[in-house]
Amino acid sequence: MNIIEIKDLSFSYQDEVDALSNVTLSVKKGEWVSVLGHNGSGKSTLSKLIIGLLKADSGEIKVDGVILNEESVHDIRRKIGIVFQNPDNQFVGVTVEDDIAFGMENLCFEQSDIVDKIKEYAEKVSMSEYLKKEPHALSGGQKQRVAIAGILAMKTDIIIFDEATSMLDPKGRESIMNYIKEINKAGVTVITITHDMKEAVLSDRIIILKEGRVIACGDTNDILNDKETLNSSNLELLLPLKLQYLLDEANLSNDKVKDILWQLSLNK
Amino acid sequence: MAIKFEQVNFEYPSFDGTNFSALKDINLEIAEKGEFITLIGETGSGKSTLVQHMNALIRPTTGSVTIYGIKIEKDTKKKGKVKLNPLRQRVGLVFQFPEYQLFEETVLKDIIFGPKNFGVKESVAIERAKQVIKHVGLDEEYLKRSPFNLSGGEKKRVSIAGILAMEPDILVLDEPTSGLDPKGRDDLLKLFMGIHNDLNKTVIIITHDMNTVYKYASRVLVMNEGHLVYDGLPQELFSKENIKSWNLDIPDIITITRQLEDKLDVNFDSQPHTIQELFELVKEVI
Ligand SMILES: Nc1ncnc2c1ncn2[C@@H]1O[C@H](COP(=O)(O)OP(=O)(O)O)[C@@H](O)[C@H]1O
Ligand SMILES: Nc1ncnc2c1ncn2[C@@H]1O[C@H](COP(=O)(O)OP(=O)(O)O)[C@@H](O)[C@H]1O
Ligand SMILES: [Mg+2]
Ligand SMILES: [Mg+2]
Repeated sequence: MNIIEIKDLSFSYQDEVDALSNVTLSVKKGEWVSVLGHNGSGKSTLSKLIIGLLKADSGEIKVDGVILNEESVHDIRRKIGIVFQNPDNQFVGVTVEDDIAFGMENLCFEQSDIVDKIKEYAEKVSMSEYLKKEPHALSGGQKQRVAIAGILAMKTDIIIFDEATSMLDPKGRESIMNYIKEINKAGVTVITITHDMKEAVLSDRIIILKEGRVIACGDTNDILNDKETLNSSNLELLLPLKLQYLLDEANLSNDKVKDILWQLSLNK
Repeated sequence: MAIKFEQVNFEYPSFDGTNFSALKDINLEIAEKGEFITLIGETGSGKSTLVQHMNALIRPTTGSVTIYGIKIEKDTKKKGKVKLNPLRQRVGLVFQFPEYQLFEETVLKDIIFGPKNFGVKESVAIERAKQVIKHVGLDEEYLKRSPFNLSGGEKKRVSIAGILAMEPDILVLDEPTSGLDPKGRDDLLKLFMGIHNDLNKTVIIITHDMNTVYKYASRVLVMNEGHLVYDGLPQELFSKENIKSWNLDIPDIITITRQLEDKLDVNFDSQPHTIQELFELVKEVI
């Protein structure tokens, strides 16, 4: 079953060039989809349209069978959590604690539940010591962690991560990715916007945007190898696959090496 | 020495009196010419705080930072003798969040703001803006746009262009490539490398990308919980065992070389730096 269905969606900011043109795509319930594409290809615009922060010029978005419009936007936002690209856009509270609570309060969680969840999720992103701090007094990566905690705590059916780990150190990024794996296994539908193929490889499916259009959409394993599409979108092949291409070009490859390099790409 | 940290401690003040110590006993020297430095370390380890000392945006709580011969201490500004403006022109700092740097109506006005502020004629500044906007991978059309109506990656590029237009002697960039697509990242790193090579300027880059460190840096600084825990060559850093405890990782090219050695049951003579070099080694054994 498709939990998100987008048909022929177009959008432009103040009549400038189209940020999105005729985008059609769907996301299955429980699926993990990566959205890739060059800077300015329309990824953040797409995610803002899905949660109804922007209104499409034409086309249709359906979430869990319901068409997104003025009446349904509130209900739909209860189903989708989004971690914004810039964590500052997420912060409204006076303390870190308030900020983690904000999303849950909007969803009318019980106060006692909120208190427990703040603790639980701050722990998960290693920010327990910072709960009383002001958000502006955090480092960039710490802000990202807090933003992630606030959204995870809402326990929505769908979560969109818009380049949510770009300022995290390698270990911090790994632990967030592990956590995303976990919630996805537990049934949460996940959309990750990223430039990092090592993150994209974890997802079931990859969608690539270029200049506001979908130029590729398919199983992760197929897209991983599609050098031309990736390069034309300013993306790069995973290192083992780059090596495979060099070997192929020199007519030097064999099945054993090919298999090893493929396994290394999938990080197995 | 262009910049010298001596026993620098820095505390962020707080209303309830529980000041937060973000830098602890930092001693560090940066040469005016010829260095390509990457600064890495865990989230919250003090990297951004450290680089904001390099152009006197913030001052040490104790200890001193000497920038081009001018000694900056806790009460330097209060004494009112020191002019900080020239320092800010010589040490150009690009912030981690471009939003902190963009405030004008148009991208053009934003880019020429710095140079004009440092006494460059408007016409000259505009010429520079037309150059640097291309250098950061955007076309001239962007000069007319509002900096607020740009995607995250585009804002980042504009904020970098603004500092390049100041033509500083030392370029300090706080996570300039996070959030850029891979081609944009490589193009910008090549641009910084070009500035470093052609003009022999020192460049300091904060990054979380170990591949960038390994490929470009001649020197790497590692911060951990406010301490400078490593200052040396990248090669040596990545052969250390404790780098995981600093929340760092091994560059991909090293990881895959090791994995291949293991799977193919071979030992390569050297550690390749690029995929081409690895290809040359693999060629010999299959
Ligand atoms: N608020 C805005 N006003 C006008 N144009 C915008 C605005 N935000 C983004 N854009 C433009 O829309 C396009 C898509 O932006 P965005 O969706 O943020 O890209 P991505 O997230 O893929 O980097 C870009 O060309 C960008 O310049
Ligand atoms: N304005 C501030 N007030 C109080 N504490 C701050 C402030 N800015 C940063 N900090 C704290 O100082 C530490 C170092 O921050 P920062 O230098 O931004 O780290 P990094 O850039 O390495 O991620 C962090 O623990 C952060 O929470
Ligand atoms: Mg974006
Ligand atoms: Mg920082």
